[in-house]
Amino acid sequence: MGTTFLRAGRLCANISVAGGTARGRGGAEVALFLRPAEREEDRPPQPGSQRRRTRRRAGRARGGDWSCAGGGWAPASRPGHRRLLTRIPASLPPRPRAKMAADGLHENETLASLKSEAESLKGKLEEERAKLHDVELHQVAERVEALGQFVMKTRRTLKGHGNKVLCMDWCKDKRRLVSSSQDGKVIVWDSFTTNKEHAVTMPCTWVMACAYAPSGCAIACGGLDNKCSVYPLTFDKNENMAAKKKSVAMHTNYLSACSFTNSDMQILTASGDGTCALWDVESGQLLQSFHGHGADVLCLDLAPSETGNTFVSGGCDKKAMVWDMRSGQCVQAFETHESDINSVRYYPSGDAFASGSDDATCRLYDLRADREVAIYSKESIIFGASSVDFSLSGRLLFAGYNDYTINVWDVLKGSRVSILFGHENRVSTLRVSPDGTAFCSGSWDHTLRVWA
Amino acid sequence: MSSKTASTNNIAQARRTVQQLRMEASIERIKVSKASADLMSYCEEHARNDPLLMGIPTSENPSRIRRPAPSYRSSEVDPPSSQQSK
Repeated sequence: MGTTFLRAGRLCANISVAGGTARGRGGAEVALFLRPAEREEDRPPQPGSQRRRTRRRAGRARGGDWSCAGGGWAPASRPGHRRLLTRIPASLPPRPRAKMAADGLHENETLASLKSEAESLKGKLEEERAKLHDVELHQVAERVEALGQFVMKTRRTLKGHGNKVLCMDWCKDKRRLVSSSQDGKVIVWDSFTTNKEHAVTMPCTWVMACAYAPSGCAIACGGLDNKCSVYPLTFDKNENMAAKKKSVAMHTNYLSACSFTNSDMQILTASGDGTCALWDVESGQLLQSFHGHGADVLCLDLAPSETGNTFVSGGCDKKAMVWDMRSGQCVQAFETHESDINSVRYYPSGDAFASGSDDATCRLYDLRADREVAIYSKESIIFGASSVDFSLSGRLLFAGYNDYTINVWDVLKGSRVSILFGHENRVSTLRVSPDGTAFCSGSWDHTLRVWA
Repeated sequence: MSSKTASTNNIAQARRTVQQLRMEASIERIKVSKASADLMSYCEEHARNDPLLMGIPTSENPSRIRRPAPSYRSSEVDPPSSQQSK
């Protein structure tokens, strides 16, 4: 898969992993003994009441008793800890060795109790989500009319890249688009005439991310250089675009995705270093960083402007996370994919988002129901989905796959309505135009195709 | 002991995890039936404006081959309906 090449070099930054075990830099798991009095199992479930040990907000418990999932006895994987305890002879004064041991014991208790709380919380989360799972989306959608046959053809082929096309983005004028490729070239095209309007060569290869500014006056791109650079677009033939380049973002690993926010002034980036970040374009200053992914972040998408300041990101840790841009907090996380999430895209209303993954499925997650509500998959589809986008109404989901095809899915019914052939290598990127009249796909066959 | 720093980090991480999970567990959720109904109604509302869904005629799709619109001259005898041949 495309990301395997890059994953070898990824750093695992010191980021907390939402899981039951703590993971240090070396990735070694730390599991410890729990003293009997502290075991969750021994304490009876108390519906709706405060627990003495945990400092939860009042009114948080949502009724119904919940028993903890997981927790209990776990073998110590650090025998040294136990040896320290048993080695303290009774004759020694109770300091400093015993104190250290006592501290160690206290720490281990806290860690163990935190971990068991994490496990029980995860169990509770699943339970709460399951309670509201009264029906499937495709069942509700049975009464909706089925879609007819779709005839979509390649209307334009944009040739000019010397190597794999990795990313593309439309301009708000619904006509221009920018694309980037493995050979370091970033090209701005007029999709109606197929003319190349601008071209710039980046100092690095594998330009995995590119974005058009909302004003149409600049583009942003980045890749293996670990940076996101902004180039103002100028129609002056004598002006060298590369000279006006502005480096905005700095990550510690490759840049996998970037997007301007509602203005030309801020850029959101996602990186192989496991973080996302919001930058001010003018000063290059980091405005907010988003930590929480346990592995490379591969994609991001901003919520449609009516629904406020959130964005969704997907990564190699199989998780899709929704973030509050102002606080930097993760507000929701979804982990149902079985492999890397290559692409995420918001539903036009902003209440849901779709994801495409190396596990050959696309999934729809509803944010208000806080769960996955649809899976778009077929037994015959075994290659990963690299890129997804919705049509304007949200009824159609276009997904580009590594088997060179584009599948068109009925979002509500969960069935495939069309399969499009044309590319001669894997489809790496796909975006619907801002006015919804066409969509463009970029491929490792060096071309982009505009379909309508 | 050297593992103290490591364990402090682990505790900090575990605390963050627990805090994050607490927050996630406490959000307001709606039923899938309601969420699905809303998604469906959004689709139905906007279906008319979705060119890829409805399929717009070639003449109105800018991505397809475009011919310049014929200019309408007042001296033309042809009725306006002749524009349909575009």
